Amino acid sequence: MRAWNDSSLRTKIFIAFSVLILAVLLATLGLTQLVVSRSVEATLGRELQTTGQVFQSLMEERAARLRTNSTLLASDFALKRVIATHFDPVNYDPATLASAGLSYRQRIGVELVWMTDEAGRLLAASPANARVKQSIARLSPLSEALESEEATTAVVQIDDGLYQVVAVPVFAPDVIGFLLLGRTIDDAVAAQLKADTGSQITFLTPTRVFASSWSGPRRNMLAVSRPQPAGPPRPYLANIDGERFLSLAMPIDASVPQLHALVQGSYDEALAPLHALQGRMLLIGIVALAAALLIGISLAAGIIRPVRALVSAMHTVLRGDLRHHAQVDRGDEIGFLARSFNEMVDGLQEREHIKNTFGRFVSRDVAEAVLDGRIPLGGERLEVSILFQDIRGFTALSEKLDPGTLLRVLNQLFTEVVAAVEAEGGMVKQFTGDGVMALFGAPQARADHCERAVRAALGIVDRLTNVNVLLQSQGVPALQIGVGLHTGEVVAGLIGPDERVEYGVVGEPVNLASRVEGLTRDLAATILISKEIAAHLGPQFLLGRAALLPVKGRAQPVEVVEVLGHQAPDNTELPGPA
Amino acid sequence: MHRHNYQRILFVAAALLLVRPAAAEPSISGTVTGADGKGIADAVVFVLAPTPPAASHVAPQVVDQIGKAFVPELLPVVVGTLVRFPNHDQIHHHVYSFSPAKTFELPLYKGEDAPPVLFDKVGVVKIGCNIHDWMAGIILVLPTPHFTVTDPEGRFTLRDLPAGTYTLSAWHALSKLKPEDSAQSVQLSQDAAQVAFTLSLSAARPRRAMHGARVEP
Repeated sequence: MRAWNDSSLRTKIFIAFSVLILAVLLATLGLTQLVVSRSVEATLGRELQTTGQVFQSLMEERAARLRTNSTLLASDFALKRVIATHFDPVNYDPATLASAGLSYRQRIGVELVWMTDEAGRLLAASPANARVKQSIARLSPLSEALESEEATTAVVQIDDGLYQVVAVPVFAPDVIGFLLLGRTIDDAVAAQLKADTGSQITFLTPTRVFASSWSGPRRNMLAVSRPQPAGPPRPYLANIDGERFLSLAMPIDASVPQLHALVQGSYDEALAPLHALQGRMLLIGIVALAAALLIGISLAAGIIRPVRALVSAMHTVLRGDLRHHAQVDRGDEIGFLARSFNEMVDGLQEREHIKNTFGRFVSRDVAEAVLDGRIPLGGERLEVSILFQDIRGFTALSEKLDPGTLLRVLNQLFTEVVAAVEAEGGMVKQFTGDGVMALFGAPQARADHCERAVRAALGIVDRLTNVNVLLQSQGVPALQIGVGLHTGEVVAGLIGPDERVEYGVVGEPVNLASRVEGLTRDLAATILISKEIAAHLGPQFLLGRAALLPVKGRAQPVEVVEVLGHQAPDNTELPGPA
Repeated sequence: MHRHNYQRILFVAAALLLVRPAAAEPSISGTVTGADGKGIADAVVFVLAPTPPAASHVAPQVVDQIGKAFVPELLPVVVGTLVRFPNHDQIHHHVYSFSPAKTFELPLYKGEDAPPVLFDKVGVVKIGCNIHDWMAGIILVLPTPHFTVTDPEGRFTLRDLPAGTYTLSAWHALSKLKPEDSAQSVQLSQDAAQVAFTLSLSAARPRRAMHGARVEP
């Protein structure tokens, strides 16, 4: 499994296709082999049975023809006269009888003519290979003919040959002798049977082959391969010289013990079309495998190329180029992946952009508003509230604390300040060493930016209490801060060269807000707001002292109001202390 | 067949007339039965011994051919008998025999012109027709004029024998026995003697050349 997981996509595709193709191929081959070989066996078996029947009817037909011929010949008066000579020892002349036999052989085209007396003693034989005067009364078919006095046929072995012999009585008018006619069953007969039926045929006993359509060395390999069970003969497979033959051994009713006609058809030859088919199927399989290899390579290439391009794009992005996009020219899952990657890069780029533009401290809704384009960044005039916060006595504190503690103290404070500003939807514009500048109403315009700014200022003061408790527990003296707020119209937009562009506001209210913060020291107030802010506040805030104070860089004095806190709920109805 | 019987009756009557002077002498009668006890018809019973000296004159006999059959199909004769083979059919016949006792041939002929054949040797002569395979007959050539043929019940009577001791034999076409094998000695005095023969016959199978098994319809 690990090897599989570690192997390449190309290998996996190829292996998957190959396994599928091989499975289909093997199943098809196996099924074809099974079905076709069964069918071939059945067909061949039927053919052999048919051949067997044809063979038997041919043999019967030959026997019938022999019977007819011999019966006709036995009725010939000249034959009767010739055979009757044996009654007279003076006139009995075996040579004449044999020559008559030769004449009969030629007349009706048989290979053997024997003549006997009425008791079955041989009178003459043609060809003259049998001993005259010996009794052949026990030789089939003469023994049956002697009994029945009718024409009888049988297959017999005479010398080395196999003969189909008919014995027919010669009547004059009683039986005066018998005429035996024989036709050889030789290779020519077997060859003729093969020509008629298409099957190889052999006449044999377990010990010898009498006649066969086979020639050459295979002839000597023939045998009735297995003991034949009783009942109708059944086909079996015999291996001859490496070729399989479906064989049917049909017993022949003969005086020769265990004589069979072995009918054979080549099983392998019959299966040849199957093997040709299987060869073609294998070829198709190999072509399919090659195709699977090519498809695997091309499919894998189709996946690997865009994947590599994507990986390359990822590396580019990894190196910091957030403007790089992967090429997407496809609609499939790979394309989806590439598009998702591009979207991810776009997202990263936007985030980077926001971070670069607004700094880290911008609230989520503001960021979304900017990204949605609801807030134009091209520069605009906006009514905003500006908040400045400062640590009182910071110079003295910085001399008293070690740098590490100083920074920790600052960071603890700023964490709370940023939280308080963002809680009111403001944006921390910049840190000024020991202080913070925050905007309300920019970049997103807000109708209640004054109240938000004041609530943020109160929030900062409120959170400072907790910070001071913490600091004091660390042995640091409590911080004192001043917060100044002012509102007015500013120009807002992206400021700075390309690499360092950031969102910012410029205008007189910014300066004045800083001046208001500076006044907190003079008045020993924590929160001071300009009268422009105060004019926008509802009754929910508890205001303190008011003063008209001169400020640097400004001809006219500034009217400021101290914010003490939130109006208590039960004092809501009371007029403010302005 | 009527004609056949008629002729046979004529023949027997003529024979009786010829032996009339001896009619008063005693006779031998008896039966020929098979192994099953049933009488055997058409068996020939004859005197095997003693054989009388050859007669100077023997009456000629006839085997007719009527309806493509020999009439009679069985004819016992004494040796030295001339037998004529008239053909009373409207077609030719070709009578022959290859039997050792008498080989002869009467090539294709019609009517009564065929020369008589002399049966001068004791034995069984089987006759046939070269044209009609089913035609078959037997001329049984005997060494004695004293013979008879059993009736359908297997009974026979031998007459015209002087008193004396005789060896009798029974023969049948289907019997495998030689005449000597069935021989029986009979003492014939003034009274009639009785003899019983038992023959075992081979099965009479329908042979194509005999008894009309394939006779033309």
